[in-house]
Amino acid sequence: MNLKKIYKYGSPPNFYRFVMKLEPWCLCLGLLMIAIGSIGGLFVAPKDYQMGDAFRIIYFHVPSAYLSMSAYAAMGISSIIGIVWRSNVAFAVAKSIAPFGALMTAVALITGMLWGKPMWGTAWVWDARLTSEFILLLLYLGYIALHATIKEQKRADRAASLLAILGIVNLPIIHYSVVWWNTLHQASTISKLDSPSIVGEMLWPLLLMIIGYMIFFVGVICRGGSAEVLMREKRSNWVKEV
Amino acid sequence: MNIHFKLFSREIRVAFKRWTDALTGFILFFLIAILFPLISDSNKEFLLTIVGPIMMFSAFFASMLSMQNMFKPDFQNGTIEQLMLSKGSFVSLILTKTIAYWLFTSLPLILISSLTASIYFVSGSGILIIQLTLLLSTLTMVHINAFTAAITLGIRYPGALMTLIITPITLPILIFGSKTIENSILGTDISGPLYFLTGMMMLSFFLGPWITASALKISMD
Repeated sequence: MNLKKIYKYGSPPNFYRFVMKLEPWCLCLGLLMIAIGSIGGLFVAPKDYQMGDAFRIIYFHVPSAYLSMSAYAAMGISSIIGIVWRSNVAFAVAKSIAPFGALMTAVALITGMLWGKPMWGTAWVWDARLTSEFILLLLYLGYIALHATIKEQKRADRAASLLAILGIVNLPIIHYSVVWWNTLHQASTISKLDSPSIVGEMLWPLLLMIIGYMIFFVGVICRGGSAEVLMREKRSNWVKEV
Repeated sequence: MNIHFKLFSREIRVAFKRWTDALTGFILFFLIAILFPLISDSNKEFLLTIVGPIMMFSAFFASMLSMQNMFKPDFQNGTIEQLMLSKGSFVSLILTKTIAYWLFTSLPLILISSLTASIYFVSGSGILIIQLTLLLSTLTMVHINAFTAAITLGIRYPGALMTLIITPITLPILIFGSKTIENSILGTDISGPLYFLTGMMMLSFFLGPWITASALKISMD
């Protein structure tokens, strides 16, 4: 890993040009994969022998749940980069991740509730994963609210980043403290890579959806981040040229 | 005279002048504990099952109520700026300030908790366990409160925001605190959650002052 590359893409004009090239590819590829995955999941995959057609919500629930967590990790990492290297670009990226991550957390919660209602007979249980997902939503909202309340840009960036870093340290602790209770949530189906407990026709749309969500997420962040960088640098010369 | 000692005695003197801050939390802690048996069922078995959550919950609220004034007056009159410019390390000065603050706001809660625990029919060693749990958890919470108070310093009405920031971070302590008390009342092993609480306390003493100091520096620019 050479630092020169980081410094190169850390400068706003370079970042902007790089991201503008990356963005359409990510958005198109992500959308394509999501489309194929949805068709595969909703029409091709066979019915679950226990849950019937209702299991198909997994194709939206699992990817958004994955993404909600990895988006928080991405936000924390770019906050660390921002604080260590004082990089304005990293702050812009972290800020643009936050609303999308909160949205994904909310989607994961809502689809989970819709799924839980027919399957478990109740929309909400005080179960470990549900609770820590809800806490994750609170962490996102705290970040967004803190960033929005502090008027001055630089101070808001650094304060909110500090909160995000603290959240990263705290997230495993929160998760394992909540796991302390007995859990009702079914064990994850695809983490056991050697012997997956799901048939191939059900599995491939799910994997496609997860990867598609990730790539689409990168595209959205490219868009949000570049817009944020343009806003911040609106007085500089290179923006006037763009 | 050592600067930490000077700061400590100054904090104590200031705290005596602003005694209403500490008193508000104290009264809240006591009132929640008393009101709960009054407005719900007051038989012994029920009270013994809820005493853990009630204790942690009221300690959490009491410490949250008083923390808005943790740095604000000193921020407005310039004391924090002086501390930042002074010779000693800013992080250890913050630690001194936090401990002085804890002495004034949380220690009274631990003392009075023997009385509130006996309202809930807890007896003998159960009271000591409750006090130990409150000791460990308030020592952790005070660092979280310090961080939250520091990072929301420049904001005019930080109330709702503070709650949003503080709740997720404090949650593990509340869970394990009430687990400890519950286990001690059921007569089962308490070492697991107690070790966790102690570990969290160590971690917060290690990280807390440092992260609070950097939050204060951010709020000062």
